Formats: sequence, structure tokens, C-alpha cells
Amino acid sequence: MIPLNWIVGLGAALFAIGAVGVMVRKNPLIMFMAAEMMWNAAALVFVAYARSFHAMSGQVMAFIIIGTAAAEVGIGLAIIVSVYHHRHRLDIDEVSQLKG
Amino acid sequence: MIGFVILAIIALGGGIGVIVARQPVHSALFLIMNILALAIFYILLSAEFLAAAQVIVYAGAIMVLFLFVVTLLTAGKDDREPKENLAGQRLTAGILAVLVGGGLAVVGVLYPSRAIGLGLPHNFGNLRGMGVTLWGPDFIYLAAVALMLLTAAVGVLVLNRPRRQVKPAPRLEERES
Repeated sequence: MIPLNWIVGLGAALFAIGAVGVMVRKNPLIMFMAAEMMWNAAALVFVAYARSFHAMSGQVMAFIIIGTAAAEVGIGLAIIVSVYHHRHRLDIDEVSQLKG
Repeated sequence: MIGFVILAIIALGGGIGVIVARQPVHSALFLIMNILALAIFYILLSAEFLAAAQVIVYAGAIMVLFLFVVTLLTAGKDDREPKENLAGQRLTAGILAVLVGGGLAVVGVLYPSRAIGLGLPHNFGNLRGMGVTLWGPDFIYLAAVALMLLTAAVGVLVLNRPRRQVKPAPRLEERES
């Protein structure tokens, strides 16, 4: 069996990579994918702890994360497409002000 | 252990590929690689239902949606990264995130939690176990996810509704003259 703490370490590393992606890239699509990776890292740690403590609650939390990611992707991509129709550039700085 | 190392390398490579790939299509494909590696982790951690849900929902639905939008928005464009306006923001962000992530990883590896005995409960993590949990004691989470997905669908419809041409109403004086 895989040791639990190594999986927690892997989750932390994936979370950090996703955070770097969100902060460094300027293409909103790639920032979105990096955010998905951060969600996934959290879900992995939840599942690892559920396996370790023999509690299904962690897996329920991972289920919520998958559902949330689906909803978030739908809304977020709709917003990105809508912004693109206004500005015709894929640059996150275009939406630095909340102004039509 | 060797399996863990191989899977971890695949997952980390996919993650790094997402943030260094120049084109969004390559990022999406690297993210699919990362997601599939995590699905195999779920199977190893005896979460069979979640592994199937990960492959179907993430690698199937979400990434297809991503690829649709990528092909819709970036086909034939130059995909150079726009210039950064904040001086030193990238360097600072990278250093801070590596420090935080490295610190978390070191703490996670150095301080193992207590492991509980090896025997798993009946139906742990398979479809029946998840169903009994989600429709029994944790029903509120299932209802919350359902409500959230419904809200997201309505929100997408509202965001993409066809915009009506708003004509300015004729003024009263103009109409009289």
C-alpha cells in the first residue's frame, strides 16, 4: 500500500504547480486549467485520507469537488467566451476592471 | 512503491506541462494526462466510483468542453503570451508558490499520520457504498451538488442569452414635431 504522507506531499506539489500557473500565465483558458489542477490536488488528498481513516466522508467531499468543477467550468467558460466577444483578445488583463 | 513513483512522475509532468505549454490545446492534453494519473491513484486508494466519475466527468465532459472553447477562440491566432505589465510579478509568484508548496510537501512527507488497520469496511468506495452514503447520512451534499449544477445551467443560459437590440425610445417632443 502507498504511504499516506507521500500522497499528501504529491497533492501539495500539484497544488503549488496549479497556483504558479494561475499567477504566471495570462491566458484565461490556461489559468482555468491550472485552477482545475488545484481542485484535483485537494480531491486527491481527500481520497487519501478517506482511505486511511476508513471513512467515506472524504470520498463524498471528492464527489462534491467533481460536481463543483463541472459547474464552475460551465460558468467560467461562458464568461470567457462572453468577454472574448466583447474584446477579441485572450488576455486576463482585459477584465481587470468590472466595467462592460 | 515503484508504481507510486511512476504515477507521481506522470501526474507532476502533466501538471508542469499544463503551465509551460505554449498553446492552450497542449495544456488541455497535458491536463488530461494529469487527470488520468489521478484516476489511477483513486483506484489504488480503493475509490472505484470516484475513479470512474473522474474519467467520465473530468476527462470526458469537462475537457471536451475546454477543447471546444479552445478551438472556438484560438484557432488560427498567434498564441504568444501577452506581455506582463507588473514588473517582477512572475518571479515573485513563482518563488512564493514554490516555497509554500515545498513547505507543505515537506511537512506532509515528514509527519505521517497514524495509519489505521488494513481491513477495509464492506463496500468501501464502490458504487454501492457511495450510493448508501450519498442517499443516507450525507444526502444534503447530494442535494447541494444537484442544486449547484442546476444553478450553473441556468446561469450559463442567462449569460449567453441573445442580446436584444435596445432602441432608444423616441422622445415625446420628437414625436409631436
